[in-house]
Amino acid sequence: MKVLIIGATGYLGPHVVKALEDHHQLLLTDIKPPKENTPHPFQRVDVSSMEQVQRAAEGMDAILNLSVLREHRRIAFDVNALGCYNIMRAAVDHGIRRVINTGPHFTITGPLYEGIDHGITPDVPPHPSTILYALTKSLGQEICRVFSQHHDVYVLDYLFYNFRDPKQVKRGSGGVPFIVSWDDAGEAFRLGLEIELDRLPSRCEIFFICADMPQGKFLNEKTRRVLGFKPKDDLAYLWRRP
Amino acid sequence: MNRRQLLQGAGILLTGGSTLDREAEASSQSERRVLITSGETELAQVIADHLSRDRGVRLTGLTAVPSRFPFTACQLDHDSATDELVQGVEAIVHVAEPPSGAGDREQIDHLTRRTYNLARAAVDAGVDRLLFLSTLELMTGYDEDFLVSERWRPLPTTRPSVLARHLGEYTCREFAREQKLQVIVLRLGKVVKAAAVKGQAADPLWVEEREVAQAVAGALDAKLSDHAQGVGRWRIFNVQSEFPGSRFPVSNAKGALGYRPWFKP
Repeated sequence: MKVLIIGATGYLGPHVVKALEDHHQLLLTDIKPPKENTPHPFQRVDVSSMEQVQRAAEGMDAILNLSVLREHRRIAFDVNALGCYNIMRAAVDHGIRRVINTGPHFTITGPLYEGIDHGITPDVPPHPSTILYALTKSLGQEICRVFSQHHDVYVLDYLFYNFRDPKQVKRGSGGVPFIVSWDDAGEAFRLGLEIELDRLPSRCEIFFICADMPQGKFLNEKTRRVLGFKPKDDLAYLWRRP
Repeated sequence: MNRRQLLQGAGILLTGGSTLDREAEASSQSERRVLITSGETELAQVIADHLSRDRGVRLTGLTAVPSRFPFTACQLDHDSATDELVQGVEAIVHVAEPPSGAGDREQIDHLTRRTYNLARAAVDAGVDRLLFLSTLELMTGYDEDFLVSERWRPLPTTRPSVLARHLGEYTCREFAREQKLQVIVLRLGKVVKAAAVKGQAADPLWVEEREVAQAVAGALDAKLSDHAQGVGRWRIFNVQSEFPGSRFPVSNAKGALGYRPWFKP
C-alpha cells in the first residue's frame, strides 16, 4: 500500500515509520526534514496548505495524519482543524478511502470526562473543552467525521495521551492513566492499514491507543476488539510498589 | 430641591418623559451595550437598527464601512484589538458572516478561529451572553416531513458554508459547556428582504431579515433558566418565517424568545 504520512518527523512519526516500513511504501512529509537519513522519499508539506497536501496525496492509497500544533493560536487552527479539511478534501479528490487521523485523548474525552468518570470509552459525545489544543483537534476530527458521512472514505481516529519507552521507566513512577509504548503505538498503525474497511463498524471510528491500564479509567477494549490490538508492553508496573 | 424639581420648576419637563427619565434611559442604554459582528453586512445593519431602540449598539467588521452606529474594524485575531472590542459589552451578536467571496479556508477560519478569539476575549471581559447566528441548513438532511426541532442532531454537509457554521456552533458549545458564556444559537433560514422576493415562489426556508432582528432582540432579553430542559447555558432556536409550506417549527422561539414571525410570502 502506498502510504502518505503527514507529520512524519515529529514525536510519533519515526516510530510509525519503523512499524510500517517493512510492509508498505511510504512517502514521508513534514515541515522539516528527518533528522536522520531515511530510505523513504521525503517531501516538505505544510498540512495547512491545500495545494501541498493535494500534491502529496496523488497516487496514494492511505493517509496518516500525525501533524500537531499545540500552542500558537492561529497555527493551531491552521494545522489541527484546517489541516484535516485539506486532508479529507485531498482524500476525496484522489479516491483515497483510508485515513488515519490522530489526536490527544481530550479531542473527545476532555476534562469533564477525565476528571469525573471511569470506564471511559471513545464512543461518547465529544467534550473537548475550550483548551486550544483539545478544541482545535476536536474540530479537525469533526471535519473528518462529516466527510466520512458524505463520501466513500473511512476515518480511523487514534487518540493518545502519553507515550513511554518501557526500558526507561521505573516501577512505581506512576503517570496518567492512558499510556502506550512507542512500539505498540506504531503497531496500531500497522493494524489500521491492514484491517478490511468493511469490517469497521462505520466509516468513522475512534480508538483509544493505550496499554492495559490498571485504573479502569480509559478502556482500550474497542481497539482490541475491532483492530485486534494486543499491546505487548505491560506498563502496569508504573503503578506497582517499587 | 432635587434636580427633577429644579428642572420642572424651570419648565424643562418634556411631553412623554422627563429630561431625567431620558438621562436615565440613555444611561440604561449605555449599560446594555451590544456588539454586533460582521457589521459590513445588511443583516447586521438591520439588527443594529432594531436593537438601537433600547440598547447601545456597536458594530465591528473586518473592514470599516460607513454606519450610523459606532463601528470598529477588527480582524478578531488573538490580540489586544479583540480584547478592547468587547470591553464594556453586555452581549455579543455574532453574525459571523465570512467576507464575501471567501474560499473554503477563509470560511472555516472565520467561523472557528475568529469565533474562538471572540469568545475567549468575551469571557475575559465578563460578557455574559453570546448569540451565534447559525443556519437551518444544518438540519435539511432529514426527511422533509419530519418536524425537526432544536433537539435533533445537526447533519452538516461538507459544503464549506454549512460545515463552517457547524464548526462555529461546535466551538461556541464548549464555552457554554464550561459555563463561561451563555450561548444562544439562532439557526436561521435563508434570510431575505420581503420587498426583494415579492412575487417569487416561496422557499420553505425563508426568513425575513426584520424577523431575524426581532428574534435577536428576544434572545437578548430572554430570561433563560440555567436549568431549563437541563441544558445549562446552551440554547438553540429555529428561526424562520412561518407560512404554509415553511420547513422548520419555530414554536420554541415563539415561547421562549417572544418571536412573532409575520412574513407570509
